[in-house]
Amino acid sequence: MPNEAIAQLMPEIVLAAAAVAIYMAGAFVASRRAWRPAAGAAIVAAAAALGLQSSVGPMGTLAGDAFGQILRWTVLAAGFILVLMACRATRDAAPEFFGSLLLAVAGAMLASGAGELILLFVALELVSIPTYLLLFVGRSDAASEEATTKYFFLSVLSSAILLYGLSFLYGAAGSTDLATIARQLAEAPGETVDLAKIALALVVAGLALKIAAVPFHFYAPDVYQGTTHLGAAFLSVVPKIAGFAALARLLLAMPGAADFGWRAVAVLAVASMTLANAMALWQTNLRRLLAYSSIAHTGFLLAALAAGLAADAPGGAWDGIAAMLFYLCVYALGTLGTFAALVHLGGSDGTIDNVEELAGLGKTCPWIAGALAVCLFSLTGIPPLAGFWGKLVVVAAALDVRPSADAASAGVRAWFIALAVLSVLNAAVAAAYYLRIVAVLYFRIPLATPRRTRRGGAWSAAAACAMLVVLVGLWSGPLLGECRRARPGVTPATQVDRNDVPTLNSSS
Amino acid sequence: MPSLLVLALLVPLAGAFWVAGPRGYARAVALGAALATLAVACALVAQFPAGEDAEVAVFDAAWLGGEHGPVDVRLSVGLDGLSLWLFGLTALLSVVAVLVGWDAIDQQAPLYYRLLLLLETGMLGVFAARDIILFYIFFEFTLIPLFSLIGIWGSQQRRLAAVKFFLFTLVGSVLSFLGLLAIVLWDHQHAGTGAMTFSIAALTERLAAAPMPPHVQLWVFLALFAGLAVKVPMVPLHTWLPLAHVEAPAAGSVLLAGVLLKIGAYGFLRFAVPMLPAAVVTCMPWLLSLSVAGILYGALVALAQSDMKRLVAYSSVSHMGFCTLGLFALNPLGTQGAVVQMIHHGLATGGLFALVGMLHERYHTRSIAELGGLARRLPWAAFFMLVMTLSSIGLPGLGGFVGEFLILLGMFDRGWAAAPGPWIVLYRILAVLAVAGVVLGAWYMLWLVERVFFGLLREPRGRAAAPPRDLNVREIACLAPLAVVTLWLGLAPRFFLDRMSPTLDRLTVEARQTLHDRTAPMVTSPRALREGEAPAEPIGQGFCGADSWSRPRESIGASPRDFRGICPVSNGTCGWFLGADILKAPGETESGSAGTQPDEGYPGSGAPMARQAPDGVRHQGPFS
Repeated sequence: MPNEAIAQLMPEIVLAAAAVAIYMAGAFVASRRAWRPAAGAAIVAAAAALGLQSSVGPMGTLAGDAFGQILRWTVLAAGFILVLMACRATRDAAPEFFGSLLLAVAGAMLASGAGELILLFVALELVSIPTYLLLFVGRSDAASEEATTKYFFLSVLSSAILLYGLSFLYGAAGSTDLATIARQLAEAPGETVDLAKIALALVVAGLALKIAAVPFHFYAPDVYQGTTHLGAAFLSVVPKIAGFAALARLLLAMPGAADFGWRAVAVLAVASMTLANAMALWQTNLRRLLAYSSIAHTGFLLAALAAGLAADAPGGAWDGIAAMLFYLCVYALGTLGTFAALVHLGGSDGTIDNVEELAGLGKTCPWIAGALAVCLFSLTGIPPLAGFWGKLVVVAAALDVRPSADAASAGVRAWFIALAVLSVLNAAVAAAYYLRIVAVLYFRIPLATPRRTRRGGAWSAAAACAMLVVLVGLWSGPLLGECRRARPGVTPATQVDRNDVPTLNSSS
Repeated sequence: MPSLLVLALLVPLAGAFWVAGPRGYARAVALGAALATLAVACALVAQFPAGEDAEVAVFDAAWLGGEHGPVDVRLSVGLDGLSLWLFGLTALLSVVAVLVGWDAIDQQAPLYYRLLLLLETGMLGVFAARDIILFYIFFEFTLIPLFSLIGIWGSQQRRLAAVKFFLFTLVGSVLSFLGLLAIVLWDHQHAGTGAMTFSIAALTERLAAAPMPPHVQLWVFLALFAGLAVKVPMVPLHTWLPLAHVEAPAAGSVLLAGVLLKIGAYGFLRFAVPMLPAAVVTCMPWLLSLSVAGILYGALVALAQSDMKRLVAYSSVSHMGFCTLGLFALNPLGTQGAVVQMIHHGLATGGLFALVGMLHERYHTRSIAELGGLARRLPWAAFFMLVMTLSSIGLPGLGGFVGEFLILLGMFDRGWAAAPGPWIVLYRILAVLAVAGVVLGAWYMLWLVERVFFGLLREPRGRAAAPPRDLNVREIACLAPLAVVTLWLGLAPRFFLDRMSPTLDRLTVEARQTLHDRTAPMVTSPRALREGEAPAEPIGQGFCGADSWSRPRESIGASPRDFRGICPVSNGTCGWFLGADILKAPGETESGSAGTQPDEGYPGSGAPMARQAPDGVRHQGPFS
């Protein structure tokens, strides 16, 4: 048993070991250049370990399901792209940077696959603590210090709130195992469900910071602005994936409180996307703008999660959880591509802060500007790019919610139709600020001659993201199919059933 | 055949990737790709069968999911009697668009032609798509190239115009998409079995068999309306249009007015009318009122313009008002008129924008006041300007006449011939106001020609040293096809009508049936007539034949307001081109129609009916 558990955890172990090795070696080796290849090699090794796993199944504290596997792959891929991007941005603190990055990736992977409260919490802390370091290295000025401090205090607070919520959950169900908790709460009496509702509120509040959802979003613009492009890219992807993995797992483990849960999540979704989009319209700082964009996308992800929680018969054609997973993937691609392009365009002397500084780059740097435009259009949700399918599955999931046939079902439909309408309107509003960046890129006269940089890593990261965005857009079937197969809490046997006989489900 | 259509879609796309290098090479590649596409489109039009509801060049392949998966999104394209014409129009106008900027575009030419070809691909795809997702993808895909074309090569306010155009369309289209998605999901939840289909044909069929409840239809229709009405544009939502048209480069204006506005009307006819008939019938009074408001508002604002391009832009608002008027009159005449008007507006307004672009190239002004008497300087330009103008004001013999005439016939038919519904007075007022719109249209267009091309020669100062030359071969080659097709449309509309009417009959039959059920349930229903279950009432008993089955026989002749008294056109003048049966005195009904045109029904009912019910049977029903 322990051996199999270790085999399942091998990718995370590889990453953690590599991180520790890089930390240690950093004290003795003066080289600046060695760390990036080392970190890249560690991620490739972890990917190999993940790919070579013979069988994955629930084991001890590990959920070992398709949901976790998809997210582990996504995090690993995001980590690789981040390593590609991270050239020279790290100056003297390269070992610390790459070590922390690997640890955070390992933490997010662990959180994706965790099936037990304590492991989940520890995994989330494993994401948080390296993040403090990541935000600080690379830009040691007052703004960066302020951003890191802000994030640190809020993160600690949110961890405490989350822990408090988990203790309620343990109190209600008498177990720390998520599967057991789900079973217990499904047949629990009313007062226990009330306890679960308190737990749910605290869990949502605690994780809202990780995923940057309103009203726990307000650190994001300041922190994004205060850190580097690289730090912002990391912050908008890795903690968010970990947070959503934890949130989905925890909320799905509280079936009795689901009715309360999806309403809370839907309200947060609408608040996040509306507020963030409204605020983003007025931003001139690029990272601040992208911070609001990231909050708005959190809103979309929460909308998908709400649909997944409310669906009584899971696994319909448009499952909310599948939509959330798919959206996470395409969001990560679009965001990482955007930040990679910005890192590349930043030049050797500094970074691009202002939207106006991108003026005319469509003419002077056509390739990287093209990649940036593709990623931005994907974030907007323009077909045939990947982002369109993300928006499509989320909206379809919201419209397709089929609650059980009781008196309240009409009300539930109305909620989700309103959610879908507000989502698409928000998508259109978001187009305004993405479009503004594209307009500056292409419709303005170049400010200066292009700065020649040698940031091949960032260039290739941006190009890879843009190409993947187009590829997934043209051929989204495989990824969508994988996501559809990955609802947590469903045993593999029933999954096979569901996929082979879709008609049974739809007629029921 | 299928490969032909796929080829037509792939050629511009391949051209877009091929375009590169110096300007001469880039524009040659673009022209070649556009011409090749046009050739393929012509071949498709040529082999489209007349008089039957055909769908040609269907290509169908699984894309996302499949027939056995939970979702079945398909790569499915094909052309029917409606999309065929708009497809052809797109191919033709794309050639014009490439030619129109031949010399004017000197910056970033490869990018320009690349975007133009991408835009063409998107527009062709919109009309060819048979799957809702594919339709929406192509629809949105047209936004990015046009956004860039306006934003990079436009005039002074180009950035504002580009962003406004994009956002207006996007806000509307996401709501439309929500409506389409609601249709798909509703169908899936209620039809029950199998994969979720996005096929437009399948959905149309299934929703005809099991319609949505009226209140659901209404909400879905409002969502669809939000996007399509922006695109048409219908009047309160038109504010993006003048800016975008004026700021766009000539090619952008040509394609925007010529093709992209049609997507709105096309969407109404493709989705709203067949899938949501009850909602369309419910909203009909409002839709018709908005259309007439558009006609009059567009015309009045056009009268007041001092900028040629802006004037033509507002004339578009007015003409597209006619289009929606015919569309929502919900009778065969009106619908056919609407589609003819779509084609004609594409040709004439496309030509007008091209001409304004050519004048701008020569004089660097679009102001009417700075120009005058140009007919002496530019006789060819004056000639083409006059042809386009006369066509767009509806001179008989040119395309505009057919469209507007059919639309007005349809509207008058709605107002007078149909069994009186609660809104009959409104319809009559609207019909009369629409005629006033025609008069206003003649006024502003002729006035424009008079001021710019006739009278004393007046040219902007400082340019007199080198008087500009008349249109060169390239420019004439760009305008001549438009003029020829306009003439063709005006002289032989049956060629077009025969090929479109069966499809239009299929698309509108549910809406007409709903309207019929609500107003006159005692007479033969459109649906029964279409399926050949009931014999047609003798054609010609109605005022103009088209709606004759939907009104009580008793009222014919007994009605105090007989349409024949009002309609100024007799059988002799227009029957020969609109179809022999369309206007006929009551006395010469059966023998006349059977004798002169034995095989062809009038365009309204379509020939399938005539085939299904042989002539002898057709005229010996219980009503004869």
